[in-house]
Order: sequence, then structure tokens, then C-alpha cells
Amino acid sequence: MAGNFWQSSHYQQWILDRQDLTRERQIDLKVLTEEEYQKLMIFYANLIQSLGEQLKVRQQVIATATVYFKRFYARNSLRCIDPLLMAPTCIFLASKVEEFGVISNSRLISTFQTVLKTKFQHAFQQEFPYRVNHVHECEFFLLEMMDCSLVLYHPYRPLTQYIADLGQEELLPLSWRIINDSLRTDVCLLYPPYLIALACLHMACVIQGKDCKTWFAELSVDMDKILEITRHILALYDLCKSFDEKKEISTLLNRMPKPKTSPSRPPSQGPNGDGQESQSRQ
Amino acid sequence: MSKIEDLEFPYCQDVNKYEKLAKIGQGTFGEVFKARDRKTKTLVALKKVLMENEKEGFPITALREIKILQLLKNENVVNLIEICRSKATPYNRFKSTFYLVFEFCEHDLAGLLSNSNVKFTLGEIKKVMQQLLNGLYYIHSNKVLHRDMKAANILITKSGQLKLADFGLARAFSINNKGQPMRYTNRVVTLWYRPPELLLGERDYGPAIDMWGAGCIMAEMWTRSPIMQGDTEQRQLQLITQLCGSITTKVWPDVEKYELYTKMELPKDQKRKVKDRLKAYIKDQYALDLLDKLLTLDPTKRIDGDRALDHDFFWTDPRPCELGKMLSQHTMSMFEYLAPPRRRGAGPHQQQPVAKPAASMDQHFDRIF
Repeated sequence: MAGNFWQSSHYQQWILDRQDLTRERQIDLKVLTEEEYQKLMIFYANLIQSLGEQLKVRQQVIATATVYFKRFYARNSLRCIDPLLMAPTCIFLASKVEEFGVISNSRLISTFQTVLKTKFQHAFQQEFPYRVNHVHECEFFLLEMMDCSLVLYHPYRPLTQYIADLGQEELLPLSWRIINDSLRTDVCLLYPPYLIALACLHMACVIQGKDCKTWFAELSVDMDKILEITRHILALYDLCKSFDEKKEISTLLNRMPKPKTSPSRPPSQGPNGDGQESQSRQ
Repeated sequence: MSKIEDLEFPYCQDVNKYEKLAKIGQGTFGEVFKARDRKTKTLVALKKVLMENEKEGFPITALREIKILQLLKNENVVNLIEICRSKATPYNRFKSTFYLVFEFCEHDLAGLLSNSNVKFTLGEIKKVMQQLLNGLYYIHSNKVLHRDMKAANILITKSGQLKLADFGLARAFSINNKGQPMRYTNRVVTLWYRPPELLLGERDYGPAIDMWGAGCIMAEMWTRSPIMQGDTEQRQLQLITQLCGSITTKVWPDVEKYELYTKMELPKDQKRKVKDRLKAYIKDQYALDLLDKLLTLDPTKRIDGDRALDHDFFWTDPRPCELGKMLSQHTMSMFEYLAPPRRRGAGPHQQQPVAKPAASMDQHFDRIF
């Protein structure tokens, strides 16, 4: 499906600005520092990536799921819906939207449980507490919150076009990986995908020592924007150097704002009993 | 502290901003209602997203329709205004329902054709076909297949604007250039409008499948009822053969690749009689010629949207002429769903309502002005 980025909801509704993001995160930033918040977001992006790889979906599905996840928390506090539930929900929805097919309920849950056990034991000692109906419900909230803006544009396609134009195939693997990494920053919420592609390509040129100055000069794009994106990605690499996930994540997860009740429970049916529910209402 | 049901998600509007007036149809994935914006008084069609197959969560057909219609904006494609939801309340077990909100169109083509008081002149038929082909040309150039062409999915406003609707079966397609055949499902398109390649099991199909449907609809403009009403896939192929001639490697060199072609017993030595059989209804030579090109057995030889729009049919007198004047004589909304069943009743893939007692007959047509 072709479609035009400039007429899409991605461009018209979902390119946010820095101030927006900071404002929407105020509630979470009362409890967490900016850096801690970023670390949590990196952690959940890794979780989505691992689940996607384990399910053997295409990178396109993983990228879409990650952006959905970021969109939700760009507009809502982490305490609205447990990100541990939101992560598999985003993969579930993205797989349908990107025409990868419907992932069966049992496969989604059991694969996620496996991923949590084998790769994220250090973060979650308990069993995955949610079931399929929670995922379906969460999918509703996600759709609603995004106003059903489903179609996303990723930097991968423009990247392959630029590389073909540049005629330097050897830059593809590294730029591609930098794009994957960029999903752990806010750039996908802040800049159009073609600029992200150019920034990643530019970084790859510098790292591999290719001189593409004239090619970039002839593009007539805003190089300042490209440098802004580059700074976001470099900041991520800096942060990752000092981020020992295995050591820090439990503390971070403990401090993270949490929902008081799990998403699907109408007031009187909570397994915690009515008493507690009605208390929290008063 | 905030519970999920107390949270505000201000992005989808509450469907309560519309007042439901009447049920006007049953789509692929839910009921359709006529409704009115309480504030602006604009009429809309609300399509409820049925959550029937709970296993797949939000239905993939609805996701496709949303995603495709958010992308397609054309005067001959139905306009998706917004998506609304009902509020989660204890009455719906805190499950809200999604509604797709469309611009309201007064008629659908099946409804108009089933009413013998509605008469189309040749110029008006040309206008219908021109708009239909223009819509198909647009969606195909955007790499989308409709996959459910039939008269009931062609909407017409009271001013005569035609809109392709019901993208519940539609999907994006890619031009296959890597030698890897596509594997789409071939269980699409209502049987009566299903092209021979799908009936033979093709899974790597393209825009030509919608062009066949356009041909069936074009003939229907004169015959007033679907031209090939098979009740099984085998029977449908027989009917196609009787009209379009035997399926042979001579007219369709590639056809041997289908397993079904070698297995299935189909009438041999049938002559192609598209023009002969339809000239009883259609006097215009150009019309017969275009129809012949749309109902071509071999999908690679079937005429595409672009070339069909250039056909002499549209560029000779009488020229296509606006439908608004003719339609203004009819003040009732005409939808297939509301109309009494057409000849032969329900096809295998479409559910038509059971005929209601005569006393309520006049309610089948819902007053619009």
C-alpha cells in the first residue's frame, strides 16, 4: 500500500514536539528522573524486540509495535496501564496491521512467558500475571488512544532508497542497525522517518569513514535537524554505556508508577475483594 | 487513584454525538446504521465493529478497513469521517464498542436496480460506470484490492455521486517482482461476482479480480439482476463458461497451472456468447465491446481501469450524464438490505433479510427528505 506520508496521520497527528513530551511526562517525572525514565523505555523496547524475535515476526512488526508503545506512553503515565501488558499487546496489534497475520492467543502468551523466564528473569521473578482477555482489553485502549492511527512510516524504506541512490551498499547493514537502535530514543515521536533515515545513514558514513559530504550537500534538507537526531542517538549510546540493566532494573521497576488495579477488573469483580476496591474509591 | 475505567481517552469521540435513526445494512463485520450528528444535523452511516471472533482481538478486517480508508481519499471512494466509541459502562461490562463513521449515501446500486421505477438512460449508465472505474483505478494505483465488488457495495448519493464502499475484505497488494508468488486467500468476493481465476484457486491475483466484478455490475445495469447466479463454485464456473466460452489454453495459455483446471469437468466447445446473449438487453455496440473486454477469462488479458476509462463507450454520444436529476424523482432511500429480495433470493455468500410481512413493506424504504 503506497500512501502519502505528508497526508498521513503519522505526519499530521503524531509528529510531536519536545515540549509536548516533557509536559505529558510530568506525572512520571515526579517519581523518576529523566534518565531513569529513558532507561525504563530502553528496557521495554528490548522486551518488545525479544518477544518479536522469539515469535519470528519481521523487523517491521517490531518497529511498529515499539512506536505504538511509545505513542501510548507519550500521552499517558506509566501508571495508566502496566507496560508489561502493553508490550505484548503492541506486538499483537502490529502483527495484524502489518499483515503478518494474527498471532494466536496461546502462542502470544506462552512465548512471552518463555521470553520473560529465559531473558528477563533478573527483572521479573513472578509469572506473567495477565491473560488473553487482558491483552484484548488493552488493545482497545491502545486503539482508542491512538485514535486508530494505525499506519506508520518507518525509516527503513527511505534508507534503502537513499543507499541505492548513493550507490554504497556496504553502508546498509550499519545504518539499518542504527535505525533499530533509534527505536530506543524519542526520535520516532519527534521527526519524520526520512530524516531519521538520513541521520542514521550519516552516522554510518562517519563510522565507516565514507566521504558523502557532496551527496548530503545536494539533498537540500535541514542539516540541523539531522544533527539533532544524531545527538539523540549518541545520547542513547552514552546512556547505554553506564546502564547496567541486570543490576538496576529491579530497583527502577519498583519505583515506577503503577496502576492501582489491573486493567480489566470492573470494581466489584476484583479478586482482591470488594473491600479494598471500595476503599480506594473513597 | 485512577482506575482504567475512570481514565479519559479523549482521542476517539463518543458515538453518542450521533443519534441512531435506522438500521440500513449488514456489512462484512457488523451492522450499519443511519444516524444524525446531534449538533450539526449531518447524516452519517455508523458501522459497528462486531467483536464476534474473540480469539483474534480487534478484528483484522476492521483494522484493514480503517487503515485502508484512512489512506484512500477520493470522490469515488466512501469517506471515513472518524472513528467513535461507545462509553464503557457497567451495562456493557466495561467493554466499549467501536464505530466507523462514514458520510451518508442515500442509495446503493443493488437497491436502485431492484426498484423497477428507477430507470437509467444510456448516458446515466455511462456515468455510473465511469465513476465506478475511476474509483477502481484510484484504489488500484494505491495498491489496494477491493475484493468484494458487487452492486450492494456501490453507494450512490442523492446527487448521483458514486462511492465504492465496504472495504472489509480489501487488502494491500504488492507487485510481485522477486519471483516469489503471493499467497493471498482465494476465498474472497461474493460468488456471483467471483472471477474464473479465483474459482480455479489462484492465490497470486491482482487488480483484474475487481475488473471482472465491474463487468458483472455493468451488465447488471441493463439486466437488473446479477447475470451469473451460481450456487456452488463448480456451478459458477459452468455459468461463466456458458457465457464467456470454454476455458482453454487457446484463450488462456497459463490456465494449465491450476490443479483444479485439470481435475474439474467443465463444458467443452462452448462458444463465447457475451455479446450475443447480452445484445437482447444492450443495444449500444460500445457497451457490448467494453463488457466483452471486462469479462475476459484470462486475467492478464482483461482490460484494466486505465484503459477501460479510455474506452470509446465513454467518449461517444450520448456522453455520460449526471444522475442527480433522475434520482431527485425518487425520495426514498434504496438499499439492498431494505429492499425485497431480488430474483432468486439469497446467494450463498450474502445474507439477505427474510422477507417481512406485507404490512411492513412500506417501511423497507426509509424516507430521506
